[in-house]
Amino acid sequence: MNGPAAAIAARGLVKRFGPVTALDGIDLDVSRGSVLAVLGPNGAGKSTLLRLLAGLARPSAGSLELAGAPRDRRRARGRVGYVAHATFLYPALTARENLVFAARLYGVGDPGRRADALLTQLGLDGVAHRPAGGFSRGMAQRLAIARALVHAPDVVLLDEPYTGLDRAAAETLSAEIRRLREGGRTLLLVTHELSRACELADAAVVLSRGRVVHEAHGDGLRLERLERAYLESVESAA
Amino acid sequence: MNVFWAVLWKDLVSEWRSRDRVVSMLVFSALVVLVLQFALPADAGRRLQGGVAGLLWVAYVFAGVLGLNRAFALELENEALSGLALAPADRGFLFLGKAIANALLLGVVQAATALVFALFFDVSLAPVAPGFALVAALGALGISSMGTLFAALAVRTRQREVMLPLLLLPVLVPVLFGAVRATSGLLSDGTLQAAPLQLLAVTDAVYLIVSFVLFEFVLDE
Amino acid sequence: MPRAALDRLAARLRTPTLALALALAAAWLYAVASAPNDAVQGPIQKILYVHVPVAFAAYLGFLVTAIGGALYLWRGDEQYDRLGISAAEVGVLFCTLVIVTGPIWARGTWGKWWSWDPRLTVTLLLWFIYLAYLLIRSFTEGSERGARFAAVYGIAGLAAIPLNYFAIDLFGSRAIHPENLQRGSLGEGMGLPFGLGVIAAIAAFFHLLARRLEVEALRQADAAFAAGAAPIRAGSAR
Repeated sequence: MNGPAAAIAARGLVKRFGPVTALDGIDLDVSRGSVLAVLGPNGAGKSTLLRLLAGLARPSAGSLELAGAPRDRRRARGRVGYVAHATFLYPALTARENLVFAARLYGVGDPGRRADALLTQLGLDGVAHRPAGGFSRGMAQRLAIARALVHAPDVVLLDEPYTGLDRAAAETLSAEIRRLREGGRTLLLVTHELSRACELADAAVVLSRGRVVHEAHGDGLRLERLERAYLESVESAA
Repeated sequence: MNVFWAVLWKDLVSEWRSRDRVVSMLVFSALVVLVLQFALPADAGRRLQGGVAGLLWVAYVFAGVLGLNRAFALELENEALSGLALAPADRGFLFLGKAIANALLLGVVQAATALVFALFFDVSLAPVAPGFALVAALGALGISSMGTLFAALAVRTRQREVMLPLLLLPVLVPVLFGAVRATSGLLSDGTLQAAPLQLLAVTDAVYLIVSFVLFEFVLDE
Repeated sequence: MPRAALDRLAARLRTPTLALALALAAAWLYAVASAPNDAVQGPIQKILYVHVPVAFAAYLGFLVTAIGGALYLWRGDEQYDRLGISAAEVGVLFCTLVIVTGPIWARGTWGKWWSWDPRLTVTLLLWFIYLAYLLIRSFTEGSERGARFAAVYGIAGLAAIPLNYFAIDLFGSRAIHPENLQRGSLGEGMGLPFGLGVIAAIAAFFHLLARRLEVEALRQADAAFAAGAAPIRAGSAR
C-alpha cells in the first residue's frame, strides 16, 4: 500500500556496523493507524530497524520516510515515540519529574499538565512523586510508555514490551496498544509472542538475517502461517 | 534554549538528591592536595609563593576529570543517553546544559578545595578572593567544555576511565597555563594579570563553540 | 569494483610522489652536505635540516586528519574516514621524528636533552593528541562509531593546537628555539637545504599517505568479505 495511506515507507534499508550487515535491504510499508508486528529470531535486525526508525542511527543505504515528517532528521524524531528494552528513565527523579523532563526535551507546552495527564492515563497517579529508581518492572514499563507518548507522536515503536510483565501488566499494555491504534496512531510492535501478534496486529513481517522473509496482511495474518515462517527463519538462521 | 534549562535542572537536581559526585570529587581533590603537601618540603607554601598555584590546579583538573566521568556514567543507566538522542532538540543545547552543570559542580569543589589548600600550604587566598573566583570560574568553564564533549565520547569506549584524561589533558594546556599564571600572579603580588585572563577567555570561547557544534555528532549510535 | 575518488587519486599519486620525494631527497642530501657549518653550533646544526621539514609534515598530517574527519561527519562517506586514519598514522610517524631529532640537536648544542621551548613542547602535545586520536579509534566498539568519535576528536584537537602554541609561547619558559623562520637569521647557503627538505618531506608525506590509504581500503574490503557480506564498494555512501 503506497501513497498517503502509508505512514512509514522504507526502501532498500541497509544498516552496516563495520563489516557486519544488520539490515540487508528492507522494504516496508506501514499504513497509518495500523499495527505492524515485527517478528524474527534474535539477531534478525528487529531492534536495529526500530532504532533506525526512531532516528537514533542513520541508514547506511536506502530511504526511510515517515509520512508528513520533515526531511530534517532532527524534526522527524519529534514524530516518533520509542519504547525500548531500556527505559530511558532517571532513577533519581520521580515519575512526574521524568515526564516533565521528557516533555521539555520535546518542547511540549505546559509540561506539568501533560505529565499529570499521562500519569493518570497509565495509572501511575499513586507513584507520581516516587523516585523512578524504585519502580517494579511493570511500573517502569508504564512510565517508559508514558515517556514515549509525552509529545503525542504519530508513530509509536515498541521493542518487545511484554518482556518481564505479569499477566495483569500485559493486559494493561495490550489495552493501551489498542487505544493508541484507535486514536489513529501507527504502531510497530516487535515481539516474540506470535499469538499476541495475531491478536493485536493488522499486518506482520518476519525478519531473518536483516531481510524480510515473510509478510502477511489482514486475512493472510494467521497464526499457523506465522508459526511456520518463524520456525523456518529460526532454522535458517541457525 | 528550553532544553538547556531542562538539562541543567535535571543534572543539578539529580546531583543534589544523591550528592555522590560532589562528595567524591571533594574527597579526591582534598586527598590530592594532601599528597602534594607530603611530596613537597614543609615550607613550600612560603617559599614558592605563587609557585604553588600549579599544585592547586592539578587538584582541580583531577577532580574535574573524575566528575566528568561520573556525569556520563549517570546517563548510561537505563540508556538515558539514548533517551536524549531521541529528542528533536538541538543537541548543542543539551551539551551546554550538561557542561554548565559540570562547571557549577566543579566550582563548588574548587571553593572547598581552595580552603583546604590555603590551610595546608599556608597561603592566604582571602585578600584575592574575587579575582581568584573569576580565574577559577573561567578555568572550570574551560575544563567542562571540552571535558563534557570528550566525556560523552569516552563513556562509550572500552577503558573509559583512562580514555577521558588521555583525550582531555593535551587539550587543557591553554586553560591550565592561563589559570596557573593568573593564580600565581594573584598569590605572589595580588595582581590580576590581563594576559592569562585573555588566554583563558579566548580558549573558553573557542572550546565552548567547538564543543557545541561537535556534540551533534556524538549522540548517534 | 568501483573505487572511491580518493582511492583512485591515491593510486595515481603513488608513483609521482615517490619519484618526487626521492629526487628531492637526493638534492636535499647534496645541499645539506655542501651547506656551510653553522658558525656557532657546528655540524650538529645540520640535524635541523631533518627536524624542521618533518615538523612541517607532522602538522600537515594533523590538518589532513582533521579535514578528513570534518568531511566524514559532513558526508558520511567512508573514504574520508580512511583519509583521517591514514593521515594520522603517517603524521604520528613524522611527529615522532620531530620529537626524536629535537633533543638530539638540543643535546648537541645546549647540552641538555630537553628544553621547554614553545615549538618542541607544542609538538609534544600534538604527539599526545595524535596518540589519543589513534586510541579512541581502537577503543570504541563498532567501526562506524569509532570513525565518528575520532573525527570529532580530530576537529577538537585541531582547534586546540594554535591555542596550545599561544599558551606556551606566552607563558612557557625561556624560548631557546632558533628563530629560523626569519630570513635574516639564516646563514648563507642554508636556505636551500631547508626549502628542499620541506618539499621533500611533504612529498614523502603524501606518498606514504597514498600507500596507507590503499592499505586501508584493502583492509576494509577484506574485513567486509570475511564477515560474509557482499563485496561492498570502497567508499559506499549513504
